[in-house]
Amino acid sequence: MKHLTPANSKAKAFVEAQAEGREDEVVAMNSLVGCTTSFDPGWEVDAFGALSNLCQPMEADLYGCADPCWWPAQVADTLNTYPNWSDDATNVTEDWRNLQSVFPEPKG
Amino acid sequence: MMTCNRTLSLLLAGGMALSAVPAVARDYILAPARPNKLVVVDTEAMAIDKVITLAEDAGPQPAVPVVDDEGRFAYVTINRTESIVKVDLTTGETVARTDFSSAGERVKTLFGMDLSPDGSTLAVYQSPVTLGTTHYEVQPTRIAFVDTATLETVKTVEAPRQITLLMYSADGSRIYGMGRSMFVFDAASGDQIDEMPIHGWKPDAYMQPDVLDVWSQFESSNIMVTPFYTARTDLSLDDPEAWRTGMLTLDLESGEMEMQDIRMMDVFYFSSAASPDGTRVYGAYNVLESFDMEKVEPLKRVALPHSYYSVNVSSDGNTVWLGGALSDLAAYDAETLERKGQVDMPDGAAMSLSNIRLFQRDE
Repeated sequence: MKHLTPANSKAKAFVEAQAEGREDEVVAMNSLVGCTTSFDPGWEVDAFGALSNLCQPMEADLYGCADPCWWPAQVADTLNTYPNWSDDATNVTEDWRNLQSVFPEPKG
Repeated sequence: MMTCNRTLSLLLAGGMALSAVPAVARDYILAPARPNKLVVVDTEAMAIDKVITLAEDAGPQPAVPVVDDEGRFAYVTINRTESIVKVDLTTGETVARTDFSSAGERVKTLFGMDLSPDGSTLAVYQSPVTLGTTHYEVQPTRIAFVDTATLETVKTVEAPRQITLLMYSADGSRIYGMGRSMFVFDAASGDQIDEMPIHGWKPDAYMQPDVLDVWSQFESSNIMVTPFYTARTDLSLDDPEAWRTGMLTLDLESGEMEMQDIRMMDVFYFSSAASPDGTRVYGAYNVLESFDMEKVEPLKRVALPHSYYSVNVSSDGNTVWLGGALSDLAAYDAETLERKGQVDMPDGAAMSLSNIRLFQRDE
C-alpha cells in the first residue's frame, strides 16, 4: 500500500481497517444503500395525477414523511440522519420557517 | 360481524365477580406529541387530563403506544423507535426502559407492537441492521417478545419482511402480522402457523391490492380494519368505475379476515377504524367517511379542515376521534359526521405519524 494513497472515504476506511487487521470488514457496495427504497408517488402529485389527495396543508405531512424516513429525498430523514431537524418547529404549522435544508456531512 | 370489546368484557366480568355495581369505565385518549410528550385526553370533558414528558432522547416523536387494560401503564416506542419505555399514566413516571440497539446493531421497531391480553408480554416487530466499518448488512426481520414487568426481551423469532401491524388475538393464542399477507403466528412459540392472502386476494377479478396501514387503532372494536386500493380486471382502466376502494377487516375475536370491494376509488383514506359492534367503519384523511359494513356500502362523507392520519371510535360508538398529522384531536358525531369539538395539543405540537390510542379507566 505504500505506493497508493487513499483518495476517498472508503479507501481511507480500508487503510484504517487494514492497520487493525480488519480489512475483510470493508466491502464493495453492491446494492442500493439507504434507509428506504420507497419510490412511490405522492409527494409532488397524487395517484390521480392531481393535488387534492395530497396532504392538506403540506405541513400536515412533513413529519409523517420525515419520521419514518418515507421520502428522504424530499424531506429530511429524522429516523437516522437528521434527528434534530425539527427541534425548532414542534408546532409545524406556525414554525415551518425554522425547518432548513440539510446537506450530507463531508466524509473522509 | 359482531364482536365484543375485549376491555369491556374484562371489566364486566371483573365487576360481576367483585361487586353488584360494576365500575363505570371512561374513555381516554393517549396521544404522543412532538418532541417527547404523551398527552392524556379525557374524552368526556373533551380536555387534556395530563401531559407527560418522556426522556430527552424520546424524540423527535414518540411513535407507537399501547395501554394496558387497567389504563395504568403505557408502553411506548421512543428514540427513533429503537427503545421502549413503560410509563405510569397516573404519575407520569417512566418506570422501565429497554434499548434494542447496540454498538454493532441498529434495531428499528417502526410500527408493529401489541400487548398480550393478559398484559404479560409485548410483541414487537423489529428490523435489525448490523453496522459494519463501511457498510450495513440488513438482518432478518423478527418478532421480539418482551416481558412487560422488566422490559427484557425473552426471545426473538424470525418473521417475514414488510410487516407493519402486529395484533394479538382476543384470546391471546395468536399474533397477526399484516404485510404482503396476513401472517398468523402462534403466540407462545412464535412459529408461523398460517398465511391469509392480501396481495394475492382474488387475482382473477382484481389487480394486486395496495395496502398502507401503520396505525394500531382497533382497541374499541377488536377489529383491525384498513382500506385497500385496487382495480377490476374485467373493466378498462380508462373506466373510472374500474378503480376500487376496499376494506380489509380482521376480527381479532374469531380470526376471520375479509376483503370487500366497497366503492369506487375517488379519494384516499389513510386509515380506518370500526365501531364497537362492527357494523360501521370510518375512514379518514382529507375526508371523513362512514361505511355500512352489513350492506358493504358507503354512508356519508364530509370534508375535513386538514389531513388527519388516525381514527378511533369511542367505546359507546357515538364519537369518532380523528388525530395525527397536525396538532388537534377532532371529535365527530358517528352518525351525522358533524364536528362536535376538538382538543389541541400543548403548544401546537404535531402528532405526526404516531398512533393515537383509546383506553379506558374506571371512575
